[in-house]
Amino acid sequence: MSSIPKPGVNTAAPEIESAADVSAFDAAEFDALLDAAVDGIVISDARGTILRVNQATEDLFGYTEAELVGQRIDMIMTRPDARAHGRYIRNYLNTGKRRIIGIGREVDAKRKDGTVFPVSLSIGEARVHDRLHFVGLIRDLTVQKRAEEEALRQRALMNHASRLTTMGEMAAALAHELNQPLAAISNYTSAGKRLLDQDSAVAQDDLRKALQEIGMQAHRAGEIIQRIRDFARSRTGEHELVAVDEMITEILPLARMDTKANHVDFRILVEDDLPSIMADRIQIQQVLLNLIRNGVDSMQDLAETGRRLDLRAWLDEKQVRISITDRGCGVSAAAAAHLFTPFFTTKESGMGMGLAICRSIIAAHGGTLDFFNNPVAGATFFVALPVSEP
Amino acid sequence: MSDSTVYVIDDDQAVRDSLGMLLRSMGIPSRLFDSAQAFLDAYDENWHGCVLLDIRMPGMSGMELHRQLVDMHASMPVIFVTGHGDVPMAVEALRNGAFDFIQKPYRDQELLDRINQALSWDESHRSEENRKRALQQRYDTLTPRECEVMECVVRGLANKVIAMDLELSQRTVEIHRARVMEKMGARSLADLVRMALLIEEPD
Repeated sequence: MSSIPKPGVNTAAPEIESAADVSAFDAAEFDALLDAAVDGIVISDARGTILRVNQATEDLFGYTEAELVGQRIDMIMTRPDARAHGRYIRNYLNTGKRRIIGIGREVDAKRKDGTVFPVSLSIGEARVHDRLHFVGLIRDLTVQKRAEEEALRQRALMNHASRLTTMGEMAAALAHELNQPLAAISNYTSAGKRLLDQDSAVAQDDLRKALQEIGMQAHRAGEIIQRIRDFARSRTGEHELVAVDEMITEILPLARMDTKANHVDFRILVEDDLPSIMADRIQIQQVLLNLIRNGVDSMQDLAETGRRLDLRAWLDEKQVRISITDRGCGVSAAAAAHLFTPFFTTKESGMGMGLAICRSIIAAHGGTLDFFNNPVAGATFFVALPVSEP
Repeated sequence: MSDSTVYVIDDDQAVRDSLGMLLRSMGIPSRLFDSAQAFLDAYDENWHGCVLLDIRMPGMSGMELHRQLVDMHASMPVIFVTGHGDVPMAVEALRNGAFDFIQKPYRDQELLDRINQALSWDESHRSEENRKRALQQRYDTLTPRECEVMECVVRGLANKVIAMDLELSQRTVEIHRARVMEKMGARSLADLVRMALLIEEPD
């Protein structure tokens, strides 16, 4: 692949006599080279009109060569990438500044049937009869991307699972702890009932002590419950500088498992160059996943075509805002009053802890979590988090 | 028995203290220990009653203490007190010979029933033990010849056969036999056979 013969360079071939013969020989060799290539090769002119494609390109995109030649290269790219590509080429032609020529870059390619797949695109240039041609090499990244996404998904799953485990262990430990004062109260009460019938000074003393202890143990139980509530708030040790777009990207594989399984059209719009926030990355991700889950749940009764969930992230003065908008049933006035109260749920199988914990996590980050019902349908939940001071 | 005691082992002061008061209100003597080690340090093999043992404790766990008691051939029945998620552990404890377990939260009557069952089991077990020990002491007073004769008698051999086997006169066998009955305190042959079985039985 290293030495594509160029016209006029092949001077070491004495038996070839005319320029026409040289080009005929080179063309045959060049054809063989093109069609032996595993990667797609597309040759276009400076305006982006396709002049030639190789066999691999036909296989990759599902078009025949005849369907492609004479068309614009936009045909095999997604619209945003085609636009960007056009800009790059114009920019190069005007200024001579290279942005993609000679540099490989990842873009989304589009097949004849409309499906999109990731490719690595590198472009070379050649002057043919004083006209500039571009040679594009297209390598299919589908398998590589899938492996990367799978790795990412596994990581997200593991983070999720480890956090759930921690929560589960905490719940078990707290349940055991809560059992102690309750068992003591129960014992003192049973003893007290028996002591009431016993008419002795010792029994009277014990009875008094039992009542006093019952009070103390009830207080102790209350303190344990307070600790459960403080749990989310008190975990301040793991705050780090978090890039918002990365944080969102990381949860997408996990979120998409949910949205895909429920036939929800899930769209993401994250503003470029969002500033970073100081946060416990996994906790915020848990909140977002929770809100996504709720959004998906709220559209269960909707026809599949109407299910759409929008995640948006943008900068609003000194706050990063992330909103999740569903098209579901919205929040009823009755539910709205208790939405963030622990153990309140509108779901049949719900614990009613999700939004209560979410809000306390966001509050612990100095932010807010709130919602409004959309004018047309569904609700929007939004998180506002302070931008980290530089 | 009046000196049967419930030995309560629980690391939680309130749980321990409340159990003590509950047992006291029921007229059952108790002794309280804040750890498995404290119980082991104080343990005396003459104690009887039952052990009420929290399965989850820092330091030596309830399970570990039970294992040690089994190794020591301590015969007091052990009742485990377990939390919600500890049932598999309690089942294992039963397999290792624990008397019973009770799950928190429990009703006082449930606890009382189990404790009473454990105490009466311990009492009957202990009276059997005492009886066995007394029999053994009597048996130990028999002469070697009397032991031989007793062995033949409980195998159902007639005096005549015993006399031939041991190369004694029938009259001598009769005398030995009377001495065995007297020393063992047996009222009949059947009584003596029961005693022999009890002595032979392993602990």
